Amino acid sequence: MIELKNLTKSFDQGQTRAVDGLNLRIRTGEITVLLGSSGCGKTTTLKMINRLIEPTGGEITLEGENILRQSPVALRRKIGYVFQGIGLFPHMTVSRNVEVVPRLLGWRRAKRRARARELLDMVGLAPNDYAQRHPRELSGGQQQRVGVARALAADPAYLLMDEPFGALDAVTRDSLQKELLQLQRRLSKTIVFVTHDIFEAVTLADRIAVLHDGRLEQVGAPKEILTAPESDFVRELVEKPTRQLQTFQEART
Amino acid sequence: MTLPADLPVRVYQHLVLTGSAVLGGVLLGLPLGILSHRVASLRGPVLWSAGILQTIPSLALLALLLIATNSMGFLPAWIALTLYALLPIVRNTVTGLDGVPAGTVEAARGVGMTNAQRLVRVELPLALPVIVAGIRTAAIISVGIATLAAYIAAGGLGVFIFRGISLRNYGLIFAGAIPAAALALVVDGAIWSGEWASRPVRTLQPAWDRILRPLALIPMILLLAPLAIEGGMRLSRSRPDVVIGSKEFSEQLLLGEILAQTIEENTDLRVRREFGLGGTMICHAALVNGEIDIYPEYTGTGYLNVLQIQSKGPLETEKVYKTVKEQYQKKFDVDWLGPFGFANTYALAVRQKDAQKYHWTCVSDLKGRAGKMTAGFPGEFMERADGYPGLSRTYGFSFGKAEDISPDLMYEVLQRGDVDVIAAFSTDGRLEAYHLRVLKDDRNYWPPYDAAPLVRRDTLQKYPQLETALGKLAGKIDAATMQRLNYQVAGEQRPIQDVAREFLRAEGIIPAED
Ligand SMILES: Nc1ncnc2c1ncn2[C@@H]1O[C@H](COP(=O)(O)OP(=O)(O)OP(=O)(O)O)[C@@H](O)[C@H]1O
Ligand SMILES: [Mg+2]
Repeated sequence: MIELKNLTKSFDQGQTRAVDGLNLRIRTGEITVLLGSSGCGKTTTLKMINRLIEPTGGEITLEGENILRQSPVALRRKIGYVFQGIGLFPHMTVSRNVEVVPRLLGWRRAKRRARARELLDMVGLAPNDYAQRHPRELSGGQQQRVGVARALAADPAYLLMDEPFGALDAVTRDSLQKELLQLQRRLSKTIVFVTHDIFEAVTLADRIAVLHDGRLEQVGAPKEILTAPESDFVRELVEKPTRQLQTFQEART
Repeated sequence: MTLPADLPVRVYQHLVLTGSAVLGGVLLGLPLGILSHRVASLRGPVLWSAGILQTIPSLALLALLLIATNSMGFLPAWIALTLYALLPIVRNTVTGLDGVPAGTVEAARGVGMTNAQRLVRVELPLALPVIVAGIRTAAIISVGIATLAAYIAAGGLGVFIFRGISLRNYGLIFAGAIPAAALALVVDGAIWSGEWASRPVRTLQPAWDRILRPLALIPMILLLAPLAIEGGMRLSRSRPDVVIGSKEFSEQLLLGEILAQTIEENTDLRVRREFGLGGTMICHAALVNGEIDIYPEYTGTGYLNVLQIQSKGPLETEKVYKTVKEQYQKKFDVDWLGPFGFANTYALAVRQKDAQKYHWTCVSDLKGRAGKMTAGFPGEFMERADGYPGLSRTYGFSFGKAEDISPDLMYEVLQRGDVDVIAAFSTDGRLEAYHLRVLKDDRNYWPPYDAAPLVRRDTLQKYPQLETALGKLAGKIDAATMQRLNYQVAGEQRPIQDVAREFLRAEGIIPAED
């Protein structure tokens, strides 16, 4: 379990509050989706969980232990992270990118290779075609999938995923979402998944945490969020797609 | 034009010098660059200091290091070249590391790399092309500046350039300058090709890539080979038995060669030539420090300039020789062997037609016109104890203007009329060839300058056969002979080796042609 207690992060000597007094429990074996519009503090929250950003207030515990008391390097190696900007290493082949964490953990070469092939297969990139390419030889969506494979490589118990499917078309995205759900059911990972897309949130989430201006608006199962929005912001968030759907249908008739 | 016989050796030395300097620059500059990248407060001072080093004139830096390290040859040259290599390497390392995208750096941290792992696995590989560009700049600078290293006995292609200037032999200058320029291009190309070979992302068809990549490493390996060989040799201590030095003007080069051939033909010792060292004090320091074992010197120079004995009144040849011999043994553990048989004194020389016109025969005669005359003096003469300041004090006049001028160009410059009087060497063959008149030193300002070989005493003890071999030269070269030989080298531009060999054979000091 990951617990965020009164978590706060301000930039520019307190002028911008990217995250403001956030309290959230991320339950083991669940997918928790951080949902919110651009600039609401999703990435900042995620980065604080693996100490890429240090909080200015509050604390984070992982299995009851304050993460600030752990070595950042060890912490990061047991948390898979999919970066919003993809963050593949441009000088390494796809296979080497996926093998990064296993290498850091000292796995044997053959085992790393096999693992990379397995994962590339899983994210729908035929290893024979893609393993030896470099990131710049891939499309944006393919790069994102390599990013997901890299995060999964060392089989971490925790996964932080920052809009991992953002650059994908609806079809591929749909299939990867299904993959993720299956994976999660099989391996019961603890996943924090960031998105600004309410459909994606509803599809994937065991629980959704709606963020707005660095504050938690509401947290609950998708159904609760959809049926019992607790604030105007959440209500608007939920109703907007319904209105859009109406417009869409009107246009068709 | 035939290429100098020692061209391969000089190219080799040049590569050893540049190679080790670039290596030194990388070993020092890379950590400094990394440090300046990570610690923002160090960046300014580090780049500033490296920049300052770059602005010190090369010859001055060499000379300073000569004094600071108290040694000659490779060490000070290597330090100087390494310091020059520093700026481009540090600067490009910082720039290259700064250029690694922030997202990539964050990803490296995010996957759990330690600082060192991030540096080695992500930042350095991505900064490599920029860093290598800096190394290429450093290498090109080094190849150029290494030509000056000959001045302090570090060898390299500069030897030909200095020798060429001394002998007024343009062919020799080109023999140093053209290979040096070519070497710069080759080194640049080789490093580029090595960098290409180590690029992670291929740019060619896979098939071509697989063939060309290993090939692209070959030039670098070839260029580094001399360094490896030299390192191996230094470790196994295979050093020549005796090293012979000389100053940078033609008579000295010739005497050095005569000494070298005499030893080579009369003993089985291995000889290395370090000719063309920049002046008396450098030769002296080299000898005392054991960088060289032997060089030809003049008694008066030793007396006034090295021992700095204040002269009062006229000095006798015998007395001066006895004094320097005793003092050198006592102070420097160096021996003066038997003199060659000629003295090469300084002498003021003027154009014959001027001498006739103004009825000049001795130095005092110049007094009336001195204020209107321009003098051309070798740099050393401007400063030496037996040089210009003392001369004007003794004779009570100075010249209107006094220009620094290369000792080997001054005869021609005087003949052309650019200067009116020079401080010539009495044994120079060009005095006659250019219709110049030597004025008598009527106030006995100059001491006798008998030429003789100077040898370290421990070298003599180790190889007693040296004394016998060099003894054969004693008294064998009189003033007329020296003047003739000098003219063959500086006037007729014949190769020094040939002139020396011909002379030694004629005298029966080395066996005649078989
Ligand atoms: N290094 C920083 N310095 C100053 N302000 C920052 C910094 N990083 C983020 N912010 C601000 O913090 C706020 C939250 O940023 P964050 O990246 O967490 O947003 P987000 O929810 O991930 O948005 P998006 O959906 O666009 O990725 C934004 O207003 C942003 O401008
Ligand atoms: Mg974000």
